[in-house]
Amino acid sequence: MAPMPSALSYELLAKCSVTKARAAILHLPHGPVPLPIFMPVATQASLKGLTPEQLEETGCRLCLNNTYHLGLKPGQATLDAIGGAHKFQSWPHNILTVSFQMVSLLKLAKVTEEGVKFLSPHDGTPMLLTPEHSISLQNSIGSDIIMQLDDVIATTSPDLARMEEAMDRSVRWLDRCIKAHKYPERQNLFCIIQGGLDLDLRKRCTKEMVERDTPGIAIGGLSGGEEKAAYCKVVDTCTSLLPEKKPRYVMGVGYPEDLVVSIALGADMFDCVWPTRTARFGNAVTSTGVLNLRNASFQNDFTPVEEGCTCVCCRPKEDGGLGITRAYIYHVAAKETAGAHLLTIHNVQYQLNLMQRARQAILEDKYPAFVKEFFGKLYPDKTKFPAWAVEALNGVGVDLLAD
Amino acid sequence: MSTTLSDLPPEMRAFTILKTSASFGPRLGSLALPGRITLETPHYLGNTSRGAVSHISQDNFRKNTSIGGVYVALEDFVEKLPRQTPPLYQLESPENSSSLRDFIALPKDTLLVVGARRIPCIPCPTANTNSALSIYTSVGFRQISAEDYAAASQKIRPDIVVGLADIPYGQPQPGLKRIDKMSDRTEEWTKELVSQTHGLDKTVKAPRASYQIFAPILPLTKELQTWYLDHLIDDMLDDISGLAIYDAHFLADLPAQVKDLPRLSFDAPSSPGAVLYQISLGMDIFTIPFITEATDAGISLDFTFPPPKSEVSGGEDAGGKDTLGVDMWQSEHALSVTPLSINCSCYACTKHHRAYVQHLLSAKEMLGWVLIQIHNHAIMDSFFAGIRESIARGTFDQDKLAFEAFYEPELPEKSGQGPRVRGYQFKSGQNETKKNPAAYKVLNVPEESSSEAPTPDAVAADLEKIGFAETAKP
Ligand SMILES: [Zn+2]
Ligand SMILES: [Zn+2]
Repeated sequence: MAPMPSALSYELLAKCSVTKARAAILHLPHGPVPLPIFMPVATQASLKGLTPEQLEETGCRLCLNNTYHLGLKPGQATLDAIGGAHKFQSWPHNILTVSFQMVSLLKLAKVTEEGVKFLSPHDGTPMLLTPEHSISLQNSIGSDIIMQLDDVIATTSPDLARMEEAMDRSVRWLDRCIKAHKYPERQNLFCIIQGGLDLDLRKRCTKEMVERDTPGIAIGGLSGGEEKAAYCKVVDTCTSLLPEKKPRYVMGVGYPEDLVVSIALGADMFDCVWPTRTARFGNAVTSTGVLNLRNASFQNDFTPVEEGCTCVCCRPKEDGGLGITRAYIYHVAAKETAGAHLLTIHNVQYQLNLMQRARQAILEDKYPAFVKEFFGKLYPDKTKFPAWAVEALNGVGVDLLAD
Repeated sequence: MSTTLSDLPPEMRAFTILKTSASFGPRLGSLALPGRITLETPHYLGNTSRGAVSHISQDNFRKNTSIGGVYVALEDFVEKLPRQTPPLYQLESPENSSSLRDFIALPKDTLLVVGARRIPCIPCPTANTNSALSIYTSVGFRQISAEDYAAASQKIRPDIVVGLADIPYGQPQPGLKRIDKMSDRTEEWTKELVSQTHGLDKTVKAPRASYQIFAPILPLTKELQTWYLDHLIDDMLDDISGLAIYDAHFLADLPAQVKDLPRLSFDAPSSPGAVLYQISLGMDIFTIPFITEATDAGISLDFTFPPPKSEVSGGEDAGGKDTLGVDMWQSEHALSVTPLSINCSCYACTKHHRAYVQHLLSAKEMLGWVLIQIHNHAIMDSFFAGIRESIARGTFDQDKLAFEAFYEPELPEKSGQGPRVRGYQFKSGQNETKKNPAAYKVLNVPEESSSEAPTPDAVAADLEKIGFAETAKP
């Protein structure tokens, strides 16, 4: 197969001498982004009430849109007329579009070789969605990174035969996506490795996908409620088989401890709706854990959401920030949308800042120490360290429990 | 346009009348408090909910609005009373700063005006008493005594405190006895506020309050509140820095002794035309609920004062008038890359376009309302700037007539759903409003759904409708 054109370059800056963590710069059509990276999810071309400038101010230079949602609203015709999603939402930086995620969207759908079939609820007419549709829509969106259509089934499914079929089909659909992709010189198609929790399937799939030589590689089908230990094994297995000079994206992962462990396992890119969605319910992500600021214990707490946080919400007035307190978030949480916006800013910046600190540690070859410090803050009592994290980190040479 | 006067001696009157026509009519003024933006009047205050202008986070307030002053209702902060000290009262701020300002992260030079109740307010089922006003908090009905109100003002130190007014909201037209009570109680409560801060007994050397007091003028005729007005003028005039007017028509009857005080309208205008009308009566400062109401309805305001000249002749036919706003829910905007208003230089108009705003509304993304709210305040800024220029030119009356001829009298009816409305927030049609009540639909947003994805049925239906998927060959 002829090498596929690529619209990105992966510049490896440093590798951890103990774990599999990597620090890099990913040069994308709308500017460079640091790796490892957390990508906030602006499902419908908007992130929880934030203006593009507010999102930019958190340091975000790569965010997600959802192909399927934009296909419905505003629709392909509008996107074509306006000139793509960047212009549509006035976002001058990079966009990654995730695909349909049929497993959650179309429970009633039937996957065939052609595509995803489902019955029209109006008149029972069979409808069909194909890999070609998905790529055509992402071409209209103009996202910097586009994802193949894949056949996803829940990792928890016991049906190994179906799992294998889905994996093989995802490979065949990748070929169709590559063929349908009109703008490989300006949009980067990522393949998605499937195979559930079966490591042999994952290995086979990885080999097949790597042969297709897409600019980047995603590990999909995870974060669906599987055991964390099993999740780690899949990530670890896949990254060991991946080429060094390509970005690795683990889809749908975003809890801080998952990020820190996954980086150690060699993953570079992550996305998750959780940090932004949870802001609306008054949940603040901090280095000591998630604080629910709707709890009455915060009503008289006039300290920032997180001491030392550099987001505009937490930063003191003297430093050009707003000096918002936990008590004020308590006052507005779930009552005024402005409160949700403030907390969303904080949570996004927390995630981005966590990635930046991880990256700095890798650059200084101090990632194991960083990981220990991170877990030490999150769980002051070592016996409370999650077993899966201890085990996974052990596998890459970090003994979390050692002093 | 606005400057900060930081060196004004406190004994100087903050309000200066720059231009007035005879004894009654539009006037130009300037409200300058030490350290605050000088508010050129006529002007308006941003109306807040729990300390924030709805939809506008505090960073956006700084970056993307020019709001020079805000109105904050104390009832948004005291739900724990009387069992528990409200958190706001426990925040200690330096002597020379306002704890309320710190708490809500208001910029240091934005004028901060506090009143007891939201505008518009939700009528309380329990009546006011001789010593306390009924209020409505996010957790239900409460009462706040005049004493507590004065103490709260001392504690939170806004720039201006509006005195408590005994107005029986939501109750039948008061009889004469009740009217007497309104006037008596309002006088007592205003006295309480004055004496707590400065002392009616001039021998007491209490430090002068850091805030100014605006005395309420009840929505009654002059005759029915004579007693109160006389005491206001005889005993409290030195301690009163402004008036809060509940019925704009009272301006015609204003006693000469208080004519030079700034006038804050608590007679919420329902439309730009109603603002102009109140200005023609001599009103100076406004709180304008229709800004946020329009935003919530997805209507971007679209008018200027004076109206555009070129089209005046064409706009006079019946039905030929321009609308005061654009309903951004309409799908006709879906492909429009034009700004909300052609000549508006606000953030929403310079960075975004109608197609995006229309999409955000129909996708129920909060940013839609954020952008419209930023724009709507920018439109009001230009509207008031135009009004002040017009008064300065001496053409206000004819400009007002031209405005009435050019534009429809009321804002367009809403067609789309608004954002989720909370219990403590006023809903159109709930109180006596002058506007046609449009039923608000409360959006039943589930608390935290496990997935953002729509149901499979909706997916299929939508996909089919837009022709995104193809019909499968059997
Ligand atoms: Zn923060
Ligand atoms: Zn505008």
